Amino acid sequence: MKVLEARNIRKTFEEGSQKVEVLRGVSLDVDAGEIVSLEGPSGSGKTTLLSIMGCILTPSSGEVHIGGRRISGDDNALRQARRHSIGFVFQQFNLFPALTARENVIYALSVKGHKGRRALDEADRVIDAVGLTDRASFLPRDLSGGQKQRVAIARALAGSPDVILADEPTANLDSAVGVQILDLFRDLARSENKGLIIVTHDPKVRRVADRVAGIADGLLLSEPHAA
Amino acid sequence: MVSLARKNLLHDRIRFAITLAGVAFAVTLVLVQVGLFLGLLRKATVTIENGNADIWIVAKNTPNVDFGNPFPETVFLRARGVPGVERADNAIVQFVSIQLPTGATENALVYGLEDPAFWNLPWKVDSGRVQDLSRGYNLIMDNSAALRFGTFEVGDYREVGSRRFRIIGRSREAESFTTTPIVFMDFANAQTLLEQLNGQTTYVLVKVAKGHDPKEVAARLRPMFPYNNVHTRDEWAAASRGYWIESTGLGMSMGVTVFLGILVGVVIVAQTLYTSAVENIRQFGTVKAIGGSNWDIYRILGEQALIAAVLGFLLGAAASYGVRPAMASLHLTVLLTPQFSGIVFVGTVVMCLAAALFSFRRVALIDPALVFRG
Repeated sequence: MKVLEARNIRKTFEEGSQKVEVLRGVSLDVDAGEIVSLEGPSGSGKTTLLSIMGCILTPSSGEVHIGGRRISGDDNALRQARRHSIGFVFQQFNLFPALTARENVIYALSVKGHKGRRALDEADRVIDAVGLTDRASFLPRDLSGGQKQRVAIARALAGSPDVILADEPTANLDSAVGVQILDLFRDLARSENKGLIIVTHDPKVRRVADRVAGIADGLLLSEPHAA
Repeated sequence: MVSLARKNLLHDRIRFAITLAGVAFAVTLVLVQVGLFLGLLRKATVTIENGNADIWIVAKNTPNVDFGNPFPETVFLRARGVPGVERADNAIVQFVSIQLPTGATENALVYGLEDPAFWNLPWKVDSGRVQDLSRGYNLIMDNSAALRFGTFEVGDYREVGSRRFRIIGRSREAESFTTTPIVFMDFANAQTLLEQLNGQTTYVLVKVAKGHDPKEVAARLRPMFPYNNVHTRDEWAAASRGYWIESTGLGMSMGVTVFLGILVGVVIVAQTLYTSAVENIRQFGTVKAIGGSNWDIYRILGEQALIAAVLGFLLGAAASYGVRPAMASLHLTVLLTPQFSGIVFVGTVVMCLAAALFSFRRVALIDPALVFRG
């Protein structure tokens, strides 16, 4: 079952008097439980595509469907989609430094509208799922890079979104920790039945990806193929 | 649930301390300055509010209680015949020179009363009996006079006007707005101090009979005294206060102080919150990326402003109450009433929330896509 479909996405930015077409008709989808690796050089348009699939940017043309629903372009619909259907994992982790690991997850859940006991239970569940129960009360400054990324993954999983979008999740981790994080992604994609798109330069991602999509100059190089 | 606002404030303790110090300074400035002003104003009406007179009949256009103007002493007789008047007596309030043992001459504010005990002037007596004021050239001097007149004892003599008076007692808290010390004496003795007071009075004090409304009795008195003004206690106190506020520019001075206090508070809180918003822009971008709205971020900034307001007010109020004993030792009253403190608290909250508004525009422009930038 497709949890995310981007159909014929085009995106043009205006830079002064010039128009720059960053995406030129890109289509990409991901099934539940599937991992897609989106690879391409810098400036190829992969982060723009990720932003559009993540409902942070609106495409100039084309459609995004999440969980079978078309996402319209108004701000509220985009925000609702981000709240309920999408989880993000960032290269820089982007954890709230004043909150503990568990509080980072709880706060994200509160933004998504989950409150009270249910939110606390959900936070404990995802913290456990990423193997950080014994570090749940630690502030980000007291966690290693790998542990921070685990917290970020727990935060992305919280609230059970349809799809998780990860932007260079191993770029700030050493090789061994990067492998651990990728293995975690693989296990969670299967056990939680989430669609996962990983934007990366890291060839190790192919180890866990079900498909690889290459992008250059705003176009998919070929149909995504099995890793 | 987790409060990102509170946690972020406590995470950066130095900045939080600076914010609190700024708010507390603004609160202290307003509370102490305005408290001093209110304390001074209370002195302007202290004899009106503590005395037993419900109505004051004064010479036409007398501006305030300290500046009594003479009018015929027989006026009180007509007042006594008005329904609702229980008692009406003459009273003199007049600045008179006093010779000090050092040879210097100072001014005293003389209150001359026909029955000081009935009119409750003075209202706090540390030593001596007010009933003895009429037994010769006697006076009761307020303790605060020691500051201007030097130390004095019961039994000492002072020359007031051109007459020698014996100090028979000491009163407390009878301080005038001008800091001129107040002395209490018999009405007849006060009349002899100045030639212009011969056969004259400067006030008629009226006590209203039980069951009568002072306002209604005053309304009955007014047509009878076309060359006088008739004030109820509250009206006369308001007029006396209003005179000092308007004529001395103190009102404007206090307005400027309050404005500066608010300005300092707004600038410090706004600057701190704005800097915090700019430095935490990535956090706010993350809030938006995970589905938060501008309102979620406004709430964070608003909550931080509210916390700064409440804690800053408590610190400022504690400091203001704390300096009162030191001020009192300098004979300065910082008058802090619950109502006034409540107004300053509400003002502090409004001030801090207004300061937070400066950051709202900045965070509204945050692009959540910034979270993807390395």
